[in-house]
Amino acid sequence: MRQVAIYGKGGIGKSTTTQNLTAALSTMGKHILQIGCDPKADSTRMLMGGRRQASVLDTLREVGTDNVKLEDVMQVGFGGIKCVEAGGPEPGVGCAGRGIITAINLLEEDGAYTDDLDFVFYDVLGDVVCGGFAMPMREGKAKEIYLVASGEMMALYAANNISKAIAKFAQQSGIRLGGMICNSRNVENELELLTAFSKAIGTHLVHFIPRDKIVQRAEISKKTVVEYDPESNQAKEYLKLAKNVIENGNFSIPTPITYEELEKLMIDFGVME
Amino acid sequence: MERIKLNGRLTVEDINSLPEIPVEGINYEQIYIEKEPLCPEYVPPDETIISSAKRSVVIDPCRLCMPFGALWASVGVHKCIPFVQGAQGCATYPRYTFCRVFREPVSIATASFHEDTAVFGGQKNLVEGIRNLICRYQPDIISIVTVCSSEIIGDDMQGCLDEAKRQLEEEFGPEILDRVKFVITNTPSFAGSHVEGYNRAAKSFLQAFARQRSPSDKVNIIPGMITPGDIREVKHILRLMGIEGIILFDISGTLDCPLRLPQSMPYYPKGGTKLAEIADMANSLATFALSPDEGSAGATYLEKRFKIPAIIGPLPLDVHNTDRLVRKLAEVTGKPIPEELKDERGILLDAMADTFHYTMMRRVAVCGDPDIVAAATRFVCELGMEPVAILSGTQSKVFEQELKEMAEEYNFKPTIFNGGDMFEWEDFIKREKIDLILGNSKAVNISKEAGIPLVRIGFPIYDRVGYQRRANIGYRGGEYLLDLIVNTILDSKFPDDRVHQ
Repeated sequence: MRQVAIYGKGGIGKSTTTQNLTAALSTMGKHILQIGCDPKADSTRMLMGGRRQASVLDTLREVGTDNVKLEDVMQVGFGGIKCVEAGGPEPGVGCAGRGIITAINLLEEDGAYTDDLDFVFYDVLGDVVCGGFAMPMREGKAKEIYLVASGEMMALYAANNISKAIAKFAQQSGIRLGGMICNSRNVENELELLTAFSKAIGTHLVHFIPRDKIVQRAEISKKTVVEYDPESNQAKEYLKLAKNVIENGNFSIPTPITYEELEKLMIDFGVME
Repeated sequence: MERIKLNGRLTVEDINSLPEIPVEGINYEQIYIEKEPLCPEYVPPDETIISSAKRSVVIDPCRLCMPFGALWASVGVHKCIPFVQGAQGCATYPRYTFCRVFREPVSIATASFHEDTAVFGGQKNLVEGIRNLICRYQPDIISIVTVCSSEIIGDDMQGCLDEAKRQLEEEFGPEILDRVKFVITNTPSFAGSHVEGYNRAAKSFLQAFARQRSPSDKVNIIPGMITPGDIREVKHILRLMGIEGIILFDISGTLDCPLRLPQSMPYYPKGGTKLAEIADMANSLATFALSPDEGSAGATYLEKRFKIPAIIGPLPLDVHNTDRLVRKLAEVTGKPIPEELKDERGILLDAMADTFHYTMMRRVAVCGDPDIVAAATRFVCELGMEPVAILSGTQSKVFEQELKEMAEEYNFKPTIFNGGDMFEWEDFIKREKIDLILGNSKAVNISKEAGIPLVRIGFPIYDRVGYQRRANIGYRGGEYLLDLIVNTILDSKFPDDRVHQ
């Protein structure tokens, strides 16, 4: 079983990329569990055909810690992918970070991690703001981390920041950075910039996903591109990404760069003046 | 694993294999477990870990958690029930400690945080808990005390309380909010110890309830975490001087109250500071915060907000500090110092002079909370003793400053552990020649191991009875403490045939 966590700046397309990636993997016959670690609980929406499922924490709130049953919180979506949403408190109250810790512990206790799984994917929100959001990295849960970014300053800034957390946890729990995934925004020199950035932080670009309107169209139909139009170019890109992830042999402890180095990189590639 | 050896005939296995407990029971001798030391002789710890400054961990702390101080304060208010916004243990441990030290039951409510509360926030538990509390106990005041968990998840206490009030008003009508009042004290334990908790509570109670009306000729006393006996001694001094005082957090009527049949149900002790008295504190002549680190925040608040002069510390546990308090009281109120009080002082001085040959040059180690440790250190100086190792479990600037002044005045060079732990203090006193330890029950094992007699002062004292009823402060308290010290020296330092002289 490979446990994989996807991190990246908020709004960069982590959930879209993750769902398309897992959908593509499932068409290759892989057994997958996808866990959405975001209080918004929308990370498995397209796999579930738009059906909203009860999140772990919502269920816990209703029935209490001891009465959460796996079948209530784990639904099977496209391609037999097991989908779980951790959920969390309303905005502004409680502790979403603690929520993720609670949810993952509950899933472990209830035996969600079965041996037949090839992959477990964690789709984690935004940035690693506190210990809770580092939960998938802790205690060696997810051994591989992938960072989703585009050729924009803040996306790379966030990716660099997260790689600091990975470098820290790498010593304690043996996690490794699997690479960067570029979700293109059609910025100039994007591929070159991302390749250079990946090299700078000591990793590689796993795949460059071009921008395509079909992603939005599929999203409106509450489907992943892989399901919506398997023959499309974009679906093939996601299949390529899936293949690269399966075959990936490049796992490293990242070497985060300073803000000044990052700025210089942006200037060198003409993104900043 | 080695079998636990029992002094009597029965081993643990024997007891476990008994088909049933015999009707006559198992007597104490049979089940008495002999403690065997882990190592045959004292092995000094590794040099590198002795200094607490070099460690990121506290070993054998000489302090409690911050909510405890705020709970202590709340317990000293008449018909006030504290409500702990946290897990059950955060209420159980303080209740247990109150019971151990004061031998009184204490009502403390809790929001009973569980896993889901930590994730979704504590509002629901607070709203329901407060409703239950009001329905069953009809308190005058509910003192909400936060703990580490509610502070970490960022519970918006004022917002939660507003929602609770709204629901109460809806259910019981608006007059419910006249019957019960609320106060919130934020006490994350990672930001300080029980000392700071009490300090914060002093401020939050006054902020919530003190209201300016016409000036009175009373004085405010914020005693700090001293015993009911101490508070009675403060009242005694005030009575002798003919001064009316308001004692904020008067635990003498709640944590050491007479055992009589309850006059009403639900039961509340008849003592404690009343709400009207706290309100009236904004009109007094002055505020005396007897313990600088425990209560000065309240005194300073009254000074800033209502222009009530704040007189902060020092704790009147010795002659010098008691003199200072009495003089200040006389100065503020314009009342003369009565003959009776001067006589009490004279009796203490006489007792000191009578026993000086026992106490002088004795080397002393002191540990506890900063205010009481500073005052006790001055007292032993007055007795001609030499303070050698002084530990305050809670870091304090006032403590450091007072000790510096004292060291100059009495010309000695103590080693000061400001905010240290008992591990480094213990190591130090084991290397020095010490005659006497002044400290709380946490120092008992160290005293036994090092073979240095202990005089119990401060908080907590849970392995002896009666200490909470006795005063250490004031002239009469000094007398009692002096007797304790001298008798302990007689017990340990003199052969039987020499104690007659």
